Amino acid sequence: MDPRKNKICQKPQEKDCQQTKPNGRREFLKGAARVAAFGGAAMLAGCGGGMLGSKEELSLRWKEYFKKHYRLMTPEEKDATVQRLEQLAKIKNNVNIQMSSAPPIEGVLFGYAFNVTRCEGYMECVAACVKENNLDRKSNMQYIRIFEMEHGQMTPEVGNAKFYHQVPVEDHFYMGVQCNHCQNAPCVAACPTKATWQEPDGIVVVDYDWCIGCRYCIAACPYYGRRFNWNDPVVPKDEMTKKQHYLGNRMRGRGQMEKCTFCVQRSRAGRLPACVEACPTGARVFGNLLDPDSEIRFVLKHKKVFRWKEDLATDPKFWYFVD
Amino acid sequence: METTQEKMIPHKFAIIKEVTAFVKDVITWSLSGGLVYQIYLCILAALMVLGVYAYFVQLKVGMAATNMSDIVSWGFYIANFTFLVGVAAAAVMIILPSYIFKDKDLHKVVIIGECVAIGALVMCLMFVFVDLGAPWNAWHMMPIIGLFNWPTSLLTWDVLVLNGYLVLNLLVPAYILYCHYYHRKPKDKLYLPLVFISIFWAFGIHLVTAFLYQGLPARPFWNNPLMGPRFLASAFAAGPALIIIVLVIIQSTTSFRVEDAVFNKIRRISVIAAIINLIMLFSEVFKEFYLPTHHSQPAIYLYFGLKGHTALVPWIWTAIVMNVIGTLTMAFNPGKNNPKVLVPACILLFLGIWIEKGIGLIVPGLVPSPLGEIVDYAPSWVEVSITLGILALGIFVVSLLLKPALMIEQRYETGQGQ
Amino acid sequence: MKTPIFKNCFWGVLPVLLLIFAAGLVYSAKGGVVQIYKNATAPFDDEKQVDAALSLPIPSVLVTERYQGGRFRTETRKDKMQRFSCSQCHNNKPVRVAQAAEIAHGEIVLNHGSEARPLSCYTCHKKDERDFLVTEEGTKIDMDHSYQMCGQCHFRQKKDWVGGAHGKRISYWTGERVVKNCTGCHDPHSPRFKKRWPVIYSPPLSKSK
Repeated sequence: MDPRKNKICQKPQEKDCQQTKPNGRREFLKGAARVAAFGGAAMLAGCGGGMLGSKEELSLRWKEYFKKHYRLMTPEEKDATVQRLEQLAKIKNNVNIQMSSAPPIEGVLFGYAFNVTRCEGYMECVAACVKENNLDRKSNMQYIRIFEMEHGQMTPEVGNAKFYHQVPVEDHFYMGVQCNHCQNAPCVAACPTKATWQEPDGIVVVDYDWCIGCRYCIAACPYYGRRFNWNDPVVPKDEMTKKQHYLGNRMRGRGQMEKCTFCVQRSRAGRLPACVEACPTGARVFGNLLDPDSEIRFVLKHKKVFRWKEDLATDPKFWYFVD
Repeated sequence: METTQEKMIPHKFAIIKEVTAFVKDVITWSLSGGLVYQIYLCILAALMVLGVYAYFVQLKVGMAATNMSDIVSWGFYIANFTFLVGVAAAAVMIILPSYIFKDKDLHKVVIIGECVAIGALVMCLMFVFVDLGAPWNAWHMMPIIGLFNWPTSLLTWDVLVLNGYLVLNLLVPAYILYCHYYHRKPKDKLYLPLVFISIFWAFGIHLVTAFLYQGLPARPFWNNPLMGPRFLASAFAAGPALIIIVLVIIQSTTSFRVEDAVFNKIRRISVIAAIINLIMLFSEVFKEFYLPTHHSQPAIYLYFGLKGHTALVPWIWTAIVMNVIGTLTMAFNPGKNNPKVLVPACILLFLGIWIEKGIGLIVPGLVPSPLGEIVDYAPSWVEVSITLGILALGIFVVSLLLKPALMIEQRYETGQGQ
Repeated sequence: MKTPIFKNCFWGVLPVLLLIFAAGLVYSAKGGVVQIYKNATAPFDDEKQVDAALSLPIPSVLVTERYQGGRFRTETRKDKMQRFSCSQCHNNKPVRVAQAAEIAHGEIVLNHGSEARPLSCYTCHKKDERDFLVTEEGTKIDMDHSYQMCGQCHFRQKKDWVGGAHGKRISYWTGERVVKNCTGCHDPHSPRFKKRWPVIYSPPLSKSK
């Protein structure tokens, strides 16, 4: 029966079937064309609905969309993208940020130690991290999780991270977890686009603009180190940290993964990460593992250290120790 | 007649004319049909439109429109993707007997198996696409213009094998149908190697999808060596069950005849796989519950609930019961392949495996989290709508492929239109 | 027909297997990050390599002890004490301010040591040398170097503090090492940390719709 004669479903038929070639290849291409159209619309929608942005903004966004992966960029291209992002931040949100693309320091491999005896559960580290790294306030994203644990067990899985009472509670101790910056990171192996990798100074970073949001890395991470932006991140302008790094605390977009970066914007400038600086009890130790005189090496040499889920052979650079 | 046609090498322009005529007829036949058929296509189109609308909502709001979270980071989309890769691979259970064992009965329904596989593959690719948080960056995964983390990342293997299998499953039937349309015998040399490749490739696609989960030591529920074989067994149980249902529908709505022997053979294939699947299920359950460890927490969450979170418990038990009843019915075959008994059994088996291999696999793998925290998950309206849209798309594709395929096959058998 | 196929497959598969085996050997011999840092014995020349401000304007004194990297500094204490120097009042002149003891020392709560054997004021302070801490033997310890006093009993914590496992670094991770002194974190008269509320809490992980 000639479909043109069938009046009942003429319109939807024509709309949906106009380009349908029943040869499966054409069918798939049609599906792909549809998908590409969605993708194009998605790209525009993904730009935060800024379709009506100024010509300058659109041009910057266009260049940003087609840029290379960060690791393949020359230093000039890195500077160019950093400048574009600074300009975009000024145009879109009227904030003056300073973004850096500082490379890793030679001869440095960052290590971190957490003193389980000294942590009292104050969560100053969590608050400092949220502020320093411009974490999304809308979904209350936090890179660090502090567990309140009863004596007798030493694994956060049996602890309670949802506490909110005066601390420390008697007969309990506190243990913090965050990305462990594994030397043998399963998230790096899992990423299909190489959007996450380990830098030479040991920090596992994400090129946010390269990530496709497949979330395979969350499935691969045994430490709950990675976070996904399920919505557009919201950070009030007056609380935003303006000194940013391309791989660190710059503003991310929705659909992108992010994670603790040992505050790359600070540590590559010689400063301590925000959590280490904020801890009032000095429970966090940070330093250069390759420097035999560093505090972290002293801890590893003289204290009883252990790493979490060591049996998974992820080789983390985050140690726990007790006094 | 056939020999002279075989020996004739068509002129270059004649090929274009032939292909155009072929395509034109295929389009016409795929869309033509009775009132019921047109209404059926309209319903599918309406569901697809609903899916597209829901996808725009998801693009606008972000993935927060779904009920996934940092703990349950994969949900309904990936659950359906996992299951449908199995259905796509199951076409091999028809292809293998008909090409390697030269089974004449099953040879007649190979084309149907391949059409179902194409539909399932299109659905799989769409599910992966709608699950991406930043689909506008999807070109970052392409080998030359982006970065393709092959061979380290299992997802890249998955992309390769799924697209490769789609191409294989498109090329071979297209060539065969094209030849049959012109009442020519297809040249063995051209398509038989591809068929043999696709047999191994079918096992490959489902093993790779299984390895996606199996290779993650962070998720003890998935990190066991039985995932790959289990995926194959459940796929070869559910896929042929679906094909039986499709054959019954075709039998009752068109003039295409399917012999009883075909139903019997496919039923047997499905039953053997279903029994192996149940044995593997028992093996998994034994490992989890004989001397439970912390690694058994996900299984306890799934089967019995943990700390008051029992959302998945009724689902998994229903799935197992459906699975067992379906398997037993098809094994003992009380109706002697009577569709009235066979189809409900196939539906039970199919749905049981869909639940167990879909949500019953993905969510317990992610809950409890690596930090031991439990988060419940149920798909949101956006996820359900998009899933319905994609399912409709898959069924749409299968219908549009099957109709002309069956017509061409019938014409070829009867010699009509030569 | 079967044998040649088997032979071809075998010779094709064997090199791959050998490669995998070799890769496994190489990988397992690496030893991971522990081996990396144990092999790192060359000192880190931060002045050459870190292109950043390496010193902070924190008032500090040079600690009398050395740590594994040489000298380090600790923050001063005397400029943070409200009424230093003590000898402004405690000299041979009479104190003419009413209720002076309460005004000057009223906020001090002395809760140091066990209940059975608590510390008293005279454990660390001596009448004739109020500007310094004085040990039992009579050694005078400057208030900026109070770690020498604390370290008499808390020698384990002092050793850790010198090395870096106890206490808090207030400078950068590289460059000059400046750490908090004991009294920077612990009130010397009531050293145990008080209970307080956390500054923030962790929101529920599940979506609340």
